[in-house]
Amino acid sequence: MTDSRPGRRIDRSSPSGRTAPAGGAAVEANGLAKRYGAVVAVEDLSFAAEPGEILGVLGPNGAGKTTAIRVLTTILPPTRGTFTVAGVPHTRPAEIRRRIGVLPESAGYPGWQTGEEYLRYYARLYGHGRASARALAESLLGEVGLADRRRSLIEGYSRGMRQRLGFARALVNEPEVVFLDEPTLGLDPAGQRQVLALVRRIARERGATVLLSTHVLAEVEEVCSRVLILNRGRLVAAGTVSEVARRAAAPRSATLRVAADHVERALEALAAAKSIGRVEAGHGQPGSLVATLNRDDSGDGMNGGLRALADAGVPVLAFELEGARLSDAFLAMTEAPE
Amino acid sequence: MSASAHTELDGNRAWAVVAEQELRGLWLGGRGLLLSLGFSLLLSVIAYLAATTTDLNFLERRESVSLTLQVAIGVGSLLALLVAADAVSGERERGTLESLLLTPASRLQLTGGKLIAALSLWFAAFAITIPYVWFLGRGVRVTGDALFSGLVVGTLLAIFLTSLGLIISALARSNRGSLSLGLFLLLALFAPTQLPSGAEKGWAGELLLRVNPVTAGERYVGRIVVEGYGWSQDLSWLVSPLVGASLFTVAATLVSARLLRLRGVA
Repeated sequence: MTDSRPGRRIDRSSPSGRTAPAGGAAVEANGLAKRYGAVVAVEDLSFAAEPGEILGVLGPNGAGKTTAIRVLTTILPPTRGTFTVAGVPHTRPAEIRRRIGVLPESAGYPGWQTGEEYLRYYARLYGHGRASARALAESLLGEVGLADRRRSLIEGYSRGMRQRLGFARALVNEPEVVFLDEPTLGLDPAGQRQVLALVRRIARERGATVLLSTHVLAEVEEVCSRVLILNRGRLVAAGTVSEVARRAAAPRSATLRVAADHVERALEALAAAKSIGRVEAGHGQPGSLVATLNRDDSGDGMNGGLRALADAGVPVLAFELEGARLSDAFLAMTEAPE
Repeated sequence: MSASAHTELDGNRAWAVVAEQELRGLWLGGRGLLLSLGFSLLLSVIAYLAATTTDLNFLERRESVSLTLQVAIGVGSLLALLVAADAVSGERERGTLESLLLTPASRLQLTGGKLIAALSLWFAAFAITIPYVWFLGRGVRVTGDALFSGLVVGTLLAIFLTSLGLIISALARSNRGSLSLGLFLLLALFAPTQLPSGAEKGWAGELLLRVNPVTAGERYVGRIVVEGYGWSQDLSWLVSPLVGASLFTVAATLVSARLLRLRGVA
């Protein structure tokens, strides 16, 4: 589906079946850069997000995630490059703002207002009259589970409730694209779960494209269909979670344990398997083996090694695969020296 | 939502919505009431001192009206300046500016709404001043002229200072810096009013008074209230407040698109 190598344009054929905006992609960036004087915040960022998908934007602190979102949401002008959001070019920022919803990182809220008053205000800024703003506020508060607290002052809201209120505000204009910048930051596990459930609902029930910026890998694995990894302002990987994990991770390896008297036979069988690049006796328990997969393994992976062991009549007592997780890929790509 | 629906939801009157929100925040949030209460107490003390001094014949009744009115103009516009100086830098620090900038409301509309809300403090201060001026001006038939000249001059100065406050607020790195700079500038503008009368003589002294909108405005009020001048006499003293209000309003609104922004984050 995609050519998701960093810096390449991504194929825009939509797997979701939704009507794509003019131009195809819900969000498309080409060579986007943002500099603050000599400081490079984002450099040569190119990607496309499909309509209706949840695209994770991963990166360590200072990777440029927030800056990229602020550029795409027209809060900051790009230093170089172009982008479209919901089919609208970046040269029409007001039109883009009408079509997007944003939950900024560490958004503040006026504590002296009730949740309903707060949402009514934003609804009116988007052109709703008083009556329709009130109805919309009530509906959105119900949607994010704050209906019973709609007349409570925001200063009494927990952090999780404020985040859900922020979600409601981001949806006040029925956005086609929703940008969420670290939405689970500082939330307890229950709050994180509620927020991630909301993210899924936004994409599934509203059909909106979601760009989810986070540095929590588990969140991306849980809700995102595809992922971009940024490091020091540059896109270092893009694709589906499994593609990125497979392509960018350190060589996958497996630790196996076989009976001590089967070690020699197991070593021979694994060495003969096509997908196994290297195999050696482990330094742990007797019968322990470490098999490293070939980097160019096309997918058969460890199954080939396990089949070889079965064919050789070697029972496997224990097996653990390492290096196949997104976290391994993330660390491999973001900790590498420049 | 279709593109046409988005167009229909354009916020042409966003400035009014922003002004309403800012006014609610200022007055229902309690800050405006607290500042007004402080203003009332200060004016009560000034009026009491002026009235007792007048009873002892140390101060003419017209002078006590002028003194009270000038304090009201000075402090009332100071309150408006303080609110304006918090308008952008405060939102930035509280983390609410980004959400506001993400709405379709133009930065000009956002600035306009905030300007109106800040000005409301001056009008509240003026309303509080009315009974004091009426009480002190009994018997010398100056109340009407004093109130009208005070309203005109005070409004011009309040517009000038709130616009100045908004520009400072948008430029400032922190809310504390914005408030400090605003206060410092206000004191600098009011300082010449305390100059000894000898220093006002000569072309340099008069130029200083005429160029500074605050001193020029207060001088105009003084001439009407104390010296009984007509409205059209010495209108030249109104030029500086008028130019200051116009120029700074235009500056605050026109450059708002550039000033009303988040600070760069790498």
